[in-house]
Amino acid sequence: MPLYRNFNYIKRIWIYFFCAIALLWAIGPIYWIFVSSISTRMELYATPIKSWFPSEPTWDAYIRLFQGGGKYRGGDVSPTEGLMWTSLLNTLFVSIISAAFVTFLSTNAGYVFARMKFRGKGFFFFFLMLMMPLPLWVSIIALFFMISKAGLIDTLSGMIMLFIVFLLPLGIWLMSTFVREINPEIEEAATIDGCNRWQLMRWIVYPLSKSGMAAVFLVSFLTVWNNFLLPLIFTRSPDSQMLTVVLSLFVGQYEVAWEDMAAAAVVTMLPPFLIALFFQRFLIRGMTLGAVK
Amino acid sequence: MLTDSLPENRQDIVFITVILLPLIILVGILIYLPAVDSLIVSFTNENLRIRRLPKFIWLENYSKLLENSEFWIVTARSLLVVALTLPLELLISLGLALLLTEVFPGRAMVRTLVLLPWMLPPIVNGFLWGWLLNGEYGALNGLLYQLGIIDEYVTWLRNPDTQVIWVAVVQTWTRFAFPTIILLAGLQSIPKDLIDAAKVDGASSWQSFKSIVLPLLMPSFAIALTIEFIAAFQIFDVIWTLTAGGSAGGAINPFTKTLMLYNYELVFRDLRIGLGAALSYLILFLSLGVAIVFVTRLYNQAVKS
Repeated sequence: MPLYRNFNYIKRIWIYFFCAIALLWAIGPIYWIFVSSISTRMELYATPIKSWFPSEPTWDAYIRLFQGGGKYRGGDVSPTEGLMWTSLLNTLFVSIISAAFVTFLSTNAGYVFARMKFRGKGFFFFFLMLMMPLPLWVSIIALFFMISKAGLIDTLSGMIMLFIVFLLPLGIWLMSTFVREINPEIEEAATIDGCNRWQLMRWIVYPLSKSGMAAVFLVSFLTVWNNFLLPLIFTRSPDSQMLTVVLSLFVGQYEVAWEDMAAAAVVTMLPPFLIALFFQRFLIRGMTLGAVK
Repeated sequence: MLTDSLPENRQDIVFITVILLPLIILVGILIYLPAVDSLIVSFTNENLRIRRLPKFIWLENYSKLLENSEFWIVTARSLLVVALTLPLELLISLGLALLLTEVFPGRAMVRTLVLLPWMLPPIVNGFLWGWLLNGEYGALNGLLYQLGIIDEYVTWLRNPDTQVIWVAVVQTWTRFAFPTIILLAGLQSIPKDLIDAAKVDGASSWQSFKSIVLPLLMPSFAIALTIEFIAAFQIFDVIWTLTAGGSAGGAINPFTKTLMLYNYELVFRDLRIGLGAALSYLILFLSLGVAIVFVTRLYNQAVKS
């Protein structure tokens, strides 16, 4: 018995040792970007690095970023004034609206595919799903010119429309699995009581697939928020910029000071970070189901 | 099931039409139409830099690409990113999955934190690591210096030959959570009796891992590998902020130019639409083809052994 306990004890130590390494690998970089964003320039630019936590933490970089725009690495005039606020609000707006639409539309469509029989069902399902595993890049090239001709380039509504369409296959597929998990007897009872399909959706399907809808909403929100390629291609002017593009401009074009860029990066990753921290269960369910199919 | 066997009635047809028709139109117009349009454009010599009416040149774009050495260099580099990323990623995620199947206090928290990087914007990850690897003020230099491993700061990202390696590392950091989850689920579906029985028969834990756990994990590996292959093969965001350099229309760093960046450059910088569209279809076929070969091979192996 003592030997066994001893063995367990040693095993524990090993487990925590590997956990520490895993956390250093996974969380270390995130920790450092946060520390960089609240460090004073003096401390951050010290070589070799002396402190792994700032002695005088400061929110200056964030204040600068949102008030006058990020600081140039050299000078003090900033071309990025107002860019953070606009892009933050744009990104929030586009992400929330697209995710809401995707959730609503794909719950309805998911229900239709999960529960109803009709001619051509297989064909329509295939039609909507086919592009899911394929890279949409082939569509994007021609889409750019179509969207330009339609005058929707560089508009938030154009972005929202594209995101909705690109996320629909995943949403529909997820929701049809989630709706299938509802006990059909409840719907039958409601039908016998005289509910029509719309009432059935309103009173039975929506309330009972809440957690599925939450998963679809969160996965969609995250996908839109994190996306870079679409806003890169479909937006131009500062007024319709999204956060990911603004961050890439900070890095490449404007040569913003490091601590200010770090703050911009923290702002860009904050919503996904918080969602991942508090709603990971929903996310993992949605994201793995979607990827594995 | 009553709901399933309900006959089609008019109300239901209206219901289905109202819900599906707008979606089908949207997907048709915004996904299929442009996909077909791109295919047609890929048979023409459309180039927005040159004022002329595009002419059908059929497969010339494709043959031009296949004869172009830059195409092969870029494709080889994309495959190199894949070849560097996948083993690293699967090693890390297998290790993590094995760690997280153990029962210990704090496991849920470790699991939540470890899976975080997957959910962050890849564009941030590129920047994040660029800053960590910075030659003047980077934290990696600081850490290694403090530990006495290096004597002076190293400019990690400056050497063109090793840039691709860092791209693979950052791609690994961005994606390892997904295979971890898949392998974790695979591990948890292996019956404990099987391993206990092997132990009774005198198998060492390495032996039982090699001859029981690994073969049973093969299907999970196949899924993870395929998805990670496509992700790494079409890498874009991470490189953009890590090593591509100059988003203001400057040249894209040739040493980390992968297929997607090359395609972006052809279409949106050089405006050679026809050629770019042809490349996008080549990328599509390459990723699909390799993915299919990948899965069938791994699946066969798993079934045979």
